[in-house]
Amino acid sequence: MIMNPSAPTPIGSQIIMLFAALMLVLQLLLVVQKMLLTNIRLYALQSLMLTVIAAVIAWYYNATHVYIVAVLTLVGKVIFLPWLLNRLVRRIKIVEEIEPLINAPTSMLICGGLTLLGYIVARPFTTLDKLGNNTLAIAIALLLTGFFLMINRRKAISQVLALLTIENGVMLAAVALTSYGMPLVVELGIFFDVMVAVMVLGILVYRIRESFASMDTSKLTQLKG
Amino acid sequence: MLTPILLIPLATALLCLLVRSQRLMGWLNPLAFAITLALGVCLLNEVLAHQVVTEWNEFFYADALSAWMVLLISAVSLGSTLYAGRYFRRDLAAGVVTAGRVKEFFVLTPVFAAGMFLVVLANNLGVMWFALEATALSSVILVALYNRRTSLEAAWKYVILGSLGLALALFGTVFTYAAAVNQNGPEQLPSFNWSHFMAVAGQLDHRMIKLAFIFVLVGYGTKAGLAPMHTWLPDAHSEAPSPTSAMLSGVSLKVAIYALLRFHILTTQCLGTGYSRTLLLGFGLFSMFLAAPFILVQSNLKRMLAYSSLEHVGLICAAVGLNTPVTIFGALLHMGYHALTKPVLFFAAGNIHQTFHTMKLRVIGPGVIKVLPVTVLFLGLAAVAATGLPPFGLFYSELTVLSGGFAAGHTVISFLIMTALVAAFCGVLKQLTRILPGTPKVARVADAAVWDGVPAMGLLVGGLLVFSVWVPVPLLRLIHQAAGIIGGKP
Repeated sequence: MIMNPSAPTPIGSQIIMLFAALMLVLQLLLVVQKMLLTNIRLYALQSLMLTVIAAVIAWYYNATHVYIVAVLTLVGKVIFLPWLLNRLVRRIKIVEEIEPLINAPTSMLICGGLTLLGYIVARPFTTLDKLGNNTLAIAIALLLTGFFLMINRRKAISQVLALLTIENGVMLAAVALTSYGMPLVVELGIFFDVMVAVMVLGILVYRIRESFASMDTSKLTQLKG
Repeated sequence: MLTPILLIPLATALLCLLVRSQRLMGWLNPLAFAITLALGVCLLNEVLAHQVVTEWNEFFYADALSAWMVLLISAVSLGSTLYAGRYFRRDLAAGVVTAGRVKEFFVLTPVFAAGMFLVVLANNLGVMWFALEATALSSVILVALYNRRTSLEAAWKYVILGSLGLALALFGTVFTYAAAVNQNGPEQLPSFNWSHFMAVAGQLDHRMIKLAFIFVLVGYGTKAGLAPMHTWLPDAHSEAPSPTSAMLSGVSLKVAIYALLRFHILTTQCLGTGYSRTLLLGFGLFSMFLAAPFILVQSNLKRMLAYSSLEHVGLICAAVGLNTPVTIFGALLHMGYHALTKPVLFFAAGNIHQTFHTMKLRVIGPGVIKVLPVTVLFLGLAAVAATGLPPFGLFYSELTVLSGGFAAGHTVISFLIMTALVAAFCGVLKQLTRILPGTPKVARVADAAVWDGVPAMGLLVGGLLVFSVWVPVPLLRLIHQAAGIIGGKP
């Protein structure tokens, strides 16, 4: 593997910053958007931003394995997973919208607070350069808002989407924070795990839908104590 | 040697996918785990001779701690699959499961076990993460095997909480990697191997490691069932088929603790002893105290057993958190004895379930001993062991932990641990005396599972009895060596 020891130029890191910020914006849109199919598209778009970030980093460092990560993200998370989720939604014929527990303006405020929290957590890491510091903050913000998204949604599929956005946050941290990305074997492992996870979740959603005639997880309340 | 340990269960999974006979599948599985157990014993000898065994350019790495875990995983899987053959034949006859689902069990269980083997044998911390995720995903399908509404609910909670936890653990893993990257400038690290990180632990970014450990603790702690992230645990354990409950409780929780311990060792090496051990101690104690009241008021047999597992997991973490050589030794010993005990309890619960068709203690009522004498014999022995009464090993390991704690001057904490242990002891005994002795409500239960599961239960209880009075010297040396790895060299 040929290494270029120079850091990304200011333009390069600005591009990365821009797309990381766009990921966060898309996350906030996910929080307020109620249509399930649109949610899936927003997730695909967010994954596309991640792909661009990986590609930019790969180009600047001339790192072959980060290119592979970018291609995998494109094929897996921008094309395959949204397609799979779309198919699942059509197959179990969900027409209703998502009913969030907390209304949109309040959710927005909460997510703003969570983003702030992400920046506070990332602040002490002064040893990181500016790029690392900002992406760390955004990754943590994605994690926290992903958590919020999961609590706020009762439909099984939108909980899966929340999980996937959290995973996007981890991958952002993995490519941007460690400058060359994790070793290829780890990236591959994570990638296939996510694919399998979504399939397993899909099977479960399907079965829950079959036996509860709904995928409202607030109906899953028989086990207690 | 390490590669076959991984490949044999995977090959078994493939074989079971191809064969049609359930009887054959029911024999292939235990056979595979008997072989891995034998390989585990060979590994034990190798590790004692050379300290560390590596393969494939250090991709696989086994020290005493890994070898100990390999033995536990093999033993519990062997017992569980041995029990599963008869168990599912009865379920099939009752029409509770379909043949396809039984096949699912015999294919996914070796995959589940292979995932656990990879967790304990992988050197790369990232590989360890995805192996753990693989165990979660394969066991989720097993939890949902009965396809009842409640089992789907349990599986959903398990997969969502488990995946969230593992996402946090992945954050922690990424931060650990980042802690090394930033110190070395923009260079590709030579590896993400645990052994490599241990060698450079002093140069890691301290702040980053601190943050990473919190994420890893909450993440892997969820998978290990530590309170307050334990809420999936009683659901999944009670709704899964009994052989799967046995594997979840017997080893899966401990494999997650193993992953946590690797990071604990790394963090301690980097930051000194104060930080990660305090966190482990806190979570461990909290789990113990949370479990005790739930055991006391529980109305479902398998849920009670699940809370008892929570209590034991808490004890193991607290004992490691006390961080003296004696308590760590006690914790590892406790892992072993608990792995031999808890599956027996779940097997007995499985027999009771198949006979009475319920897990509600009130409905099962008194007098199980008249209906299922053999099962109750094993259940009684295992329950006495699990509550920490002599002459069983758990008594010895709990005593080791307590005496180690008192000797090191942690009087208050040791006293707290003792209180929680006594509370759990009362709880389990009180619940079991409600159902085991007395006269049954119904005079005769048709088709009672009297002799079911005797080989599996006999094997594990026999092992427990033997190891309680006599631990072979090589095994003892292995545990000492493993304790040395966790506690740093004395």
